[in-house]
Amino acid sequence: MALNPFFLQGAQSEQRLTQDLINEHLRMFGVEVTYIPRKFIGTDDVWNEVESSKFDDNFSIEAYVNTYEGYSGAGDVLTKFGMNIRDEVDLTISKERFEDFIAPFMAGLDDGTDDSEMVLTSRPREGDLIYFPLGQRLFEVKFVEHEDPFYQLGKNYVYQLKCELFELEDEVIDTSIEAIDTQVKDEGYITTLKLVGLGRTAIATASIGSGYVEEIFLNNDGSGFTSAPTITFSDSPANDTTRAIGIMTTRANVTSIEKILVLNAGSGYVTPPTISFSGGGGTGAAATCSIGSGYNGVVRVNVIDGGVGYGTAPTVTISAPGNGVQATGISSVGPSGQNRIVKFVYVDNPGKGYTSTPTVTIADPESMVGVGTYQYNETIKGSRSGTTATVRSWDGDTKILLVTNVGIGSTVAGFFSGEEIVGQTSGAAYATASYNSDDANDKYSDGDEFEFQADQIIDFTESNPFGVV
Amino acid sequence: MFGTYFYHEIIRKTVISFGTVFNDIHVRHQDNTGKDLVDTKVPIAYGPRQKFLARIQQQPDLNKAIAISLPRMSFEMTSVTYDPSRKSGITQTFKAKDGKKFKKVFMPVPYNLGFQLNILTKLQDDSLQILEQILPFFQPGYTLTVDLVNSIGEKRDIPLILNGISYSDDYEGNFDTRRALIYTLDFTAKSYMFGPIADTTDGLIRKVQVDYYSDTDTRTANREMRYRVESTAKKDYNDDQVIDAADNMLIEPGDDFGFTETREFFGDSKEYSPTRKIDI
Repeated sequence: MALNPFFLQGAQSEQRLTQDLINEHLRMFGVEVTYIPRKFIGTDDVWNEVESSKFDDNFSIEAYVNTYEGYSGAGDVLTKFGMNIRDEVDLTISKERFEDFIAPFMAGLDDGTDDSEMVLTSRPREGDLIYFPLGQRLFEVKFVEHEDPFYQLGKNYVYQLKCELFELEDEVIDTSIEAIDTQVKDEGYITTLKLVGLGRTAIATASIGSGYVEEIFLNNDGSGFTSAPTITFSDSPANDTTRAIGIMTTRANVTSIEKILVLNAGSGYVTPPTISFSGGGGTGAAATCSIGSGYNGVVRVNVIDGGVGYGTAPTVTISAPGNGVQATGISSVGPSGQNRIVKFVYVDNPGKGYTSTPTVTIADPESMVGVGTYQYNETIKGSRSGTTATVRSWDGDTKILLVTNVGIGSTVAGFFSGEEIVGQTSGAAYATASYNSDDANDKYSDGDEFEFQADQIIDFTESNPFGVV
Repeated sequence: MFGTYFYHEIIRKTVISFGTVFNDIHVRHQDNTGKDLVDTKVPIAYGPRQKFLARIQQQPDLNKAIAISLPRMSFEMTSVTYDPSRKSGITQTFKAKDGKKFKKVFMPVPYNLGFQLNILTKLQDDSLQILEQILPFFQPGYTLTVDLVNSIGEKRDIPLILNGISYSDDYEGNFDTRRALIYTLDFTAKSYMFGPIADTTDGLIRKVQVDYYSDTDTRTANREMRYRVESTAKKDYNDDQVIDAADNMLIEPGDDFGFTETREFFGDSKEYSPTRKIDI
């Protein structure tokens, strides 16, 4: 049976009038919310999950709050996982306004310029965010109802968005609206970078002498060491005995001596000293040496000032003799409080033919002076580790940089001490004094407290015979 | 009736030991090319807590923008039960040292503490990353050596036994309810309860003396030899610049000391009186 042709089920003009009235009503009695679409960065097609997302666009739209008496949902509840705020809200937005002013722009967001992906841009989408300014809250759309009211005059005019408070993991929220982005300033896993702004060049001097150990021949690198052995040289007649340390290496679970670094080449030897090895748990190591006599070489390098801000061992340059072989040195850096300093300079090659004390030049640390101010939400990158992270806060006085979403760099998660941390937007650059991967802000996590207290009571002296745990 | 105050914090220590096992678990996320993007340390906490403290610590700003940050782990003690399979004699004691003093300790009573570890994640993949960092270490137990009574340095091996794993994934149904993805791991910690640590009159044996007779009837037999061993100080306890017999009396349990052996020969029939400390 066909419908009665004398009764219209909704003329287009009536439908347009209704839509206009609804739009007008929403603009008078609604709340201006911000619609934030989700971009997919990483998806898992086995578990059918979006692993990584970012929210970096925003669209204002008026919305009517259906539940005028407050949020629905279970409210603030204490769970075994801490505080969980289960506020929900139902919002009504104009279908026409969304389709005219948001959907076309959303469709243009996936322009292939980055690794993110936008899917389904013609309607409000479950998973997108709504910033509700009255409560300063981020709601996630969990369901879009498009048929309520049901085809009035033959058409639907609104979307009803059923929203729940967002559960944050490591999503990037960078809408460029400060009021929104800073809502998650203290949320999630936030770690601490202690930076140093001022680097200082290390200073060292050289001492020359004759009758020094010129070259060491490692005849047998030994085996079975558990730590570096003590290397002893027979006494020098001039009471300036050679001192050296062993650098160990492990191959196929066998630890042996890789090389011997000379701290002091000694002086006054008339015959090559004997070299003996003790301790370290290994056997078989043997070495001999030659001496340089009749001419002067650099017997030791004395570090006068270790400098500040050395993340990697700087190059050491010892000036050349007028006629002879130029000496070379190898530096070793280590922590000193919050700074990284040059601890030793080993004599790699004492050279020969020095008639006067040469000058020693140690290269500058990576960053002499920290510059700039890191910006909220900008990406920073470690110069050596390649690790990236997102800035949460920066205190220029204490030089504490709080970051989240720390990535995995060239080797492990986190940053190397001494490397330069460069803000990718601000250009700010400082050197890392230390990186602390403990959560700086989470008032839920007790992991660090457990670890601290457990250190007092758990006995780790018994190792696991089946391997390292 | 019991009356003696003591508190070794054994259950607290077991809880701390349990918590620290799982305090360095990480979750990583990749982009679509498989490149690692983010490494997140999974926070863990003991679930039960004072409500007001939870509110003011975790929600200092009343207008909290998000519901919760994930992933998270929590654990709680669920049971305390006697373990008859590890029962030992109730009157059996052993000696322990509290600093310089000997203490008498009754054998501890074996109790099993039940623990439940819960993992709440947003993604199934997160749950599995966490789970795979835990399960290989439990076969089905992982043993910790815990200093249960630190005043006497009593270290005990506490096996953590993984009894079972269950999970809930409420993904079905309408869109009004959230998807909750929770893994629950049940553990048993085989711990011990220690009673009060009592002082003991036992102390260092400073002198041992034996008289040898030519026959078993000491009234008629000749006394032949006396063998005496005395503890001897190795340092100057009383700071009089000499190490002598006066220092011997100041040796305490646990000190490094030596012994002096003395042999005396007799041809008499006397006996040693321990009370008068002379031969009579």
